[in-house]
Amino acid sequence: MKRQLIFLLLFVLFVITTAEWIGFQNITIGAITITLLPLVFAILITMVLGMKLFRQGFMKQIYSKANVSFASKYLIFIMLPLMARYGADVAPQINDILQVGWVFIIQDLGNLGTVLIGLPIAVFIGLRREAIGATLGIGREGELAYISEKYTLESKEGRGVLSIYIIGTLFGALFFSIFAPILLDIGLRPEALAMASGVGSSSMMTGASSTLVARLPEMESTILSYAAASQLLTSFLGTFTMIFLAVPLQRFMYKILVRGDQS
Amino acid sequence: MTEKQGLPSYVKYALILLLSITLILFTQSIKLVFNPASTPVNGMTIAGLASLWIFSVIGIGISQLLSKTNIAILKNFPILGWVSITSLVMCLIFDFFVTAIQAVDFLSITTPILTFAGISVADRLVDLRKTSWKVAIVAIFVFIGTYLGSALLAQFGLMVSGN
Repeated sequence: MKRQLIFLLLFVLFVITTAEWIGFQNITIGAITITLLPLVFAILITMVLGMKLFRQGFMKQIYSKANVSFASKYLIFIMLPLMARYGADVAPQINDILQVGWVFIIQDLGNLGTVLIGLPIAVFIGLRREAIGATLGIGREGELAYISEKYTLESKEGRGVLSIYIIGTLFGALFFSIFAPILLDIGLRPEALAMASGVGSSSMMTGASSTLVARLPEMESTILSYAAASQLLTSFLGTFTMIFLAVPLQRFMYKILVRGDQS
Repeated sequence: MTEKQGLPSYVKYALILLLSITLILFTQSIKLVFNPASTPVNGMTIAGLASLWIFSVIGIGISQLLSKTNIAILKNFPILGWVSITSLVMCLIFDFFVTAIQAVDFLSITTPILTFAGISVADRLVDLRKTSWKVAIVAIFVFIGTYLGSALLAQFGLMVSGN
């Protein structure tokens, strides 16, 4: 186990080096520029090499059961210095942030967009009870806990929330790192996009805010502080928004959307 | 996995955090090799990394202390949040921490984290087969929904407040 752990750490150093060597890559499609950061290459390399196909010989030692569970068990602790960094980004901007404090609060309600946009589409393509779990939020721990308490994870609702959880874990950071700058190109303000980055998942927030910083380095402190402040607010308000707003809204919309089913 | 003979948990957490900041230092140094114009590594960077380590340790401590209370909102508040709050408070009191921590390159913090994230999901890739393509489509709109919803409200709010 000890030796395997050393292999893992050497592998991590190798992946970091490769990702940094590839560096920033800009892909321009028409008016939209997609910026791929080293962090995107790091997650792509580790995910691709982790596929069963590549797990032969030496790679099997790196992606051993013990190593993979080490990575998932301690990922949250590996992330803590990043969270501490956000504190230092918010502090110098605290007056600006408090001045537009109410904007931070109303944009948090934007998280209801999961129900407003996701639910009609889910029902339209034929999902029913799964849609409840899949569109309540972005399927992080809060929603997972709520759905499992109310419906259990074996139910259809449970399967819906679990699926979103898995997809978000695998592709969330990747998705937001590509989607955030697209909205920038469409013309939304970087401050607004930075605030929106606090979606409630740290890796997704990192994905979104990092590409914004890469595109607008001169606004780094504003972007990081707004994203971090909004993320903190979501951690506080998230559960309340879900229980008092998302759940009733979802119930109301679901009833209307599936009305045609019985007839 | 049961680890009976292992170190006490707080020592383990402290070591993992040490690993984390070491990887950040490594990344920032490697970045300099490929791009000499990126953030330099100096004494301030080391002080910054040390501050990040200390605030993380304090955050874990607070979270563990509060896990014994009965107040749900405090009990369930994530460790990640406590670490940000600890750091924020310390940075508001002492400007030195802001200067030190900002000598740590932001993107150098993110690469090691996503490397670990990628490895951690390796065994869950097979779970994808359990999710249907329908849910995958919904997932895209759910992600778009939360982000676009917040961004539009924020844009509106900033416009109204004249910022």
